[in-house]
Amino acid sequence: MKERFKHSQYAHCESGVVSSMLTNSGLAISEPMAFGLTRSLSFAFLPIIKVSNMPLIAYRAMPRHIINSIEKVLQVKIGKQKFTSALEASLELDKKLDDGMVVGLQTSVYYLPYMPKDMRFHFNAHNLLVYEKCENIYKISDPVFEDVVECSLEDLTKARFAKGIFAPKGFMYYVKELPRDIDLSKSIKKSIKKNASSMLTPFPYAGIKGMRTLAKAIEKLQNRDERYVKNYLTHIVRMQEEIGTGGGGFRYLYAAFLEEAKGFDLDWHKLDESCHLMVASGDALREFALKCVEGARNIGKFDAKNIAKALVQASEYEERAYKILKSL
Amino acid sequence: MSSFVPQEENSTLEGKKKVMYARDSDGTFARVNYGSSVEEFATMSAVDEYEFLTLEALREYKKQQASPIKYFMFKNRMDLPTLCSIVGMFCFRVKAHLKLKKFLKLSDKILLKYAEAFNINLKELKEFDEREV
Repeated sequence: MKERFKHSQYAHCESGVVSSMLTNSGLAISEPMAFGLTRSLSFAFLPIIKVSNMPLIAYRAMPRHIINSIEKVLQVKIGKQKFTSALEASLELDKKLDDGMVVGLQTSVYYLPYMPKDMRFHFNAHNLLVYEKCENIYKISDPVFEDVVECSLEDLTKARFAKGIFAPKGFMYYVKELPRDIDLSKSIKKSIKKNASSMLTPFPYAGIKGMRTLAKAIEKLQNRDERYVKNYLTHIVRMQEEIGTGGGGFRYLYAAFLEEAKGFDLDWHKLDESCHLMVASGDALREFALKCVEGARNIGKFDAKNIAKALVQASEYEERAYKILKSL
Repeated sequence: MSSFVPQEENSTLEGKKKVMYARDSDGTFARVNYGSSVEEFATMSAVDEYEFLTLEALREYKKQQASPIKYFMFKNRMDLPTLCSIVGMFCFRVKAHLKLKKFLKLSDKILLKYAEAFNINLKELKEFDEREV
């Protein structure tokens, strides 16, 4: 495995790790496929849950969702372990590496020394792959980096046992058993339809309704104090674009999945149309992020309605896409 | 149709590039490098906000209001719930420890928990000197 291990750079850490791990184990699954099959496209706006004093906004499923769901959709067996003792966690990791496996880990970006310093926040759900150990240095394939990186045992342990929201608790995972034969077209169709339904939920804080609820919350910012507005707007952008190339990025990732799904004996026209709509939503979300930043930069010209409009626009593209996909 | 891919400067990545999915000229999707000044601004706002809070805590310390814990909390980019989770104490307790008056009465055992959370030694926390920061 070690000699053959091939690092690739991905758009998002969890789908990237799962794609890389399976592909390196002999089951070629692209990142869009890993993301789409596990129905990971999402939107949630939960103002009662706070992250750095700001409401929780998520553009994709909860951490570990892809790792947990991929088992079922692909009939692949993933070994998963959590630890209370750091020593035991390191020993188990080393054992798996000795057995020639690549091992996925959940970590906090704050404690990873190879991360650029401006990116190091207490975000506990960053996924990476360890493929080799030399003395006390781990060789790491971090899916959002161009090249492989290194990390010492001490730092890696800190990152694996960081505390706070989404605490990793030493979580590690690896491929145990690959499926004999898989019928992807059936799973793809099911996943697409399910994901579309969940995005069309009537619950006002999720899916396209959630996007519109956030748009309304933005409109209410018009008369709040400057610092709050600035932090709120940039928080939205960070949740969208950065925490694993969120929002816009996830829409393009899903569009790539729909494009790939065309090769699996499904309604080509429906996939093509919804693929274009997902790209349009990605573009609208990028426009929305740009407007948020402009608003934060120049509070004097802050126009809440105009910013909210861009988000509503994205939700409209997506509503059309999901209605088509639901009828697949 | 090929997609628009931003190629702007993003200093927060220290010269590294991230990838996104975009359409090629032949319509298929590929991973391409991009750089976004929008992301740069959002990241820097978060970095600046913690720096602002750190300096504010330092000013409060000089006025004998805030404890060094508050300073180190923000310096390590932690919010209150994160720090509470790291030291394993209820937030109302930690909140009280952010005040200098309460801080001066804390036992070494408690202070050690904080020192560990901030990756400093006990002395650095107890004999905090604002001139050295």
